[in-house]
Amino acid sequence: MNKPFAVVLDASTSLCNKTGSWRTKRPEYITRLPPCNSACPAGENIQQWLYFAIEGKFFDAWKVMVERNPFPAVIGRVCYSMCEKACNRAITDGAVNINLLERSIGDLAIAKGWEFEKNANYPGKKILIIGAGPSGLSAAYFLKKLGHEVTIYDNHKKPGGMMRYGVPRYRLPNNVLDTEIKRIVNFGVKIICDKKIDDICAAIKEFDAVYIAVGASIALKPDVKIESGSNIVDAVGLFQKLENEDKDLPYLGQTVLVCGGGNTAIDAARSSLRLGAKNVKIIYRRTIDDMPANENEIGEALAEGIEILCLRTISKVDKNKIFVDKMNYDREASILSKSGELEILYADSVIFAIGQSVDKDMFSNIEGINVSENGVIEVDENMMTEIPGVFAGGDAISGKRTVTHAIAWGKKASNYIDAYLRSTKVTKPPKNEVITFKRLNVAYYTKNPRKNVFIPMDISFKEKDTSYSGKKIIEEASRCFSCGNCFHCDNCYGYCPDGTIIKHKDGSLEFNYDYCKGCGICASECPCGAIKMIEE
Amino acid sequence: MLCQLEGSQAIARAIALCRPKVVCAYPITPQTHIVEGLGELVRSGELSECEFINVESEMAALSVAIGSEAAGVRSYTATSSQGLLYMMEAVYNASGMELPIVMTLGNRTIGAPINIWNDHSDAMSARDAGWMMFFAETNQEALDLHIQAFKIAEKTKNPVMICVDGFILTHAYERVDIPSQEEVDKFLPFYSPEVCLDIEEPLAMGAMVSPDYFMEVRYIAHIKQMKAIETIGSISEEFFQKFKRKSGGFLREYEIDGAETVIVSMGSVAGTIKEVIDELNANGEKIGLLSLICYRPFPADILNKALKNAKKIIVVEKAFAIGIGGFLSREIELAIKDKEIVSVIAGIGGRNITRSMLKECFLQKNNNQSTKFLGLNEGIIEAQ
Repeated sequence: MNKPFAVVLDASTSLCNKTGSWRTKRPEYITRLPPCNSACPAGENIQQWLYFAIEGKFFDAWKVMVERNPFPAVIGRVCYSMCEKACNRAITDGAVNINLLERSIGDLAIAKGWEFEKNANYPGKKILIIGAGPSGLSAAYFLKKLGHEVTIYDNHKKPGGMMRYGVPRYRLPNNVLDTEIKRIVNFGVKIICDKKIDDICAAIKEFDAVYIAVGASIALKPDVKIESGSNIVDAVGLFQKLENEDKDLPYLGQTVLVCGGGNTAIDAARSSLRLGAKNVKIIYRRTIDDMPANENEIGEALAEGIEILCLRTISKVDKNKIFVDKMNYDREASILSKSGELEILYADSVIFAIGQSVDKDMFSNIEGINVSENGVIEVDENMMTEIPGVFAGGDAISGKRTVTHAIAWGKKASNYIDAYLRSTKVTKPPKNEVITFKRLNVAYYTKNPRKNVFIPMDISFKEKDTSYSGKKIIEEASRCFSCGNCFHCDNCYGYCPDGTIIKHKDGSLEFNYDYCKGCGICASECPCGAIKMIEE
Repeated sequence: MLCQLEGSQAIARAIALCRPKVVCAYPITPQTHIVEGLGELVRSGELSECEFINVESEMAALSVAIGSEAAGVRSYTATSSQGLLYMMEAVYNASGMELPIVMTLGNRTIGAPINIWNDHSDAMSARDAGWMMFFAETNQEALDLHIQAFKIAEKTKNPVMICVDGFILTHAYERVDIPSQEEVDKFLPFYSPEVCLDIEEPLAMGAMVSPDYFMEVRYIAHIKQMKAIETIGSISEEFFQKFKRKSGGFLREYEIDGAETVIVSMGSVAGTIKEVIDELNANGEKIGLLSLICYRPFPADILNKALKNAKKIIVVEKAFAIGIGGFLSREIELAIKDKEIVSVIAGIGGRNITRSMLKECFLQKNNNQSTKFLGLNEGIIEAQ
């Protein structure tokens, strides 16, 4: 080839000029914590299982879920989805429907009969767990994973705790719960029901450690004057009778008034409708925005015709005549006061769902297990009571009483118990910086609004079936922005004006710092904030 | 095929016959009709296997042409006036990288104040950019020059600019003879450069050259362009053999034998000058015309020879440099020694050049002024 002198050069000639030396800032691929993972009480690696779901690798996705949560199908129904509230996509066109995806993959696991992978036999210790609720079962699963021998005692007819006796069937059908508990049993956890433990001190001699996960099963008594002949029902008791198919259900009548603002109140109101009540009202002392209940649940209750009366408290119940005080609420100052205005309502029954506490009597004669005034068991920073080797967790120690939190407590307790038994300490892995919306470059994501599945519901105890099948799982999972973590879109590769990004065969990318001038275009054009400019 | 065509359309048809693979341009008066015509030919499929690339500026237009030409395909663009200024960095790059791009310059003056009409100021701004430059006298010559341009450019590895007077040629209808595709194909071979960008065999074009070599690079470019004079002559001759029409080359002589006064001009103004010469020579004057077609490379020796017998030379030029005067007359002074050379600045910003003005100017004797401004309104000047 006859090349013009000096005008056309061999390509290699300018490579000796390592322009990377001009750089004052260096781009680096980093890992930021996605907000969904950060918000999940159980610490699920949601983004990771979404990646697998996008690839159609549902079994791998499920395996990632059960690393942190042994109940995907249950959680996919009853979790109040803190992940979706934190999801950065919520700011543009609606959060990824993480909860429904978890349910769908959880249901797939049930249909396919997927089981937990048994680990090599490890000469573990013997552990007793009191209470087969979400926290106890979760602790059992994680302790079993760590190689210990676990036995659970529960005083109910069936295991499941609040998942069975606190969540109505239209939200969580029995077969789903039974299958996921059965999987834990198949994994090697022994569950003994209808067993009351009277002597924890004796049990501690038989076992190396005890985990008290008895929940908060005692309904709080309302501070309300109740005249004789009034028909008062407590929500927890009602659910338990319902679950046990007790013939002797409390009489609710046509008109029901539910007092409370949490999820239990909503569940009680909606269950009342299903038991034949025609006119159901919820009464709550603050405004609807202050209700601790999940907003979807509130929405569905309203859709079913339940009325929510806000800024009211019951002062007296006299047979079917209910005396109500109207309230004033100053949210900023958090001051709730009676307005002086009164109202009289009529109802055939009043259900109180104003909170629960631990059964204090259970521990009254045990020295070293103290129940505080708030109705929770006192534990140290390692979740241990004053008795060495006796731990407590779940609803029994916490005010955040959701199934997801209980599962998280179970996992946490398993680590503390394991560390205690091995005489080591629990070390917390460092947490990456959470990626905020402003770090994303959302213009690069195709608009694809969230599709809310709305199936009109029969007012019955039958669950509505909304689970996605294979293709739809992939479609919905693909809406994930992959916040804070490279998803190989190759934007940086395309934009680098100096061609300094090396693309490996496996798709991974690397900066060639010999020639990167540190212009920062890669970082500013990265859709998901996975490149950080670092001062040289 | 004989047609009555607008100059721009004739040029568009000529370009299409040359089968470019890439056409890219940004609209600017008076060049716009050329690329509009090409756009239509590409869309209709008449010009096939050609990518018409829309760009956002003249800078991009020529840069795209540089890219495609470097990749080894015949590329074309067109512009005028400020458009040429805007692409100027790329103009130098194209010649510096020896890329045989062909560009039409629809000649228009340069603002401010803004003015869309014809003169040669824009062409003069690029006269030192290393491009070969040709000026067309008629629409037919414009058409013919474009066909020759690709051949000259590709043979000498140097970009070529064809200058056509804005409006006077670009927008005027004239009879043109359009050659057939077969004829053009026989004249202009398929373009396949030896050196071009290829991902299999990477190259760097126009990378940094140190002071140790830069002067040599420029010297080689100069020598090459001076040598290209031979190529231009032989291609013009070959064109004549194939198409039976004298077009291009260096200059065209009119009534030169025995002429005492020789007028030198570039572009379409030659038509008016010829009419004036006919009228004056009928009355016994001895005036001839030398219409310069090839402006770069500057054919000094050829001009010298042609002007050998002239006693007086009047250069009618459509551009001048503020602070010194006419460009063309200064350059002719370098080629011709010891002769009276008068510079007549005419037609600036589209001012009409009339026969009576020229007649008066050609007949003026014993002139003290070496630079005259044709048709200057003295009243306005005095009032200032």
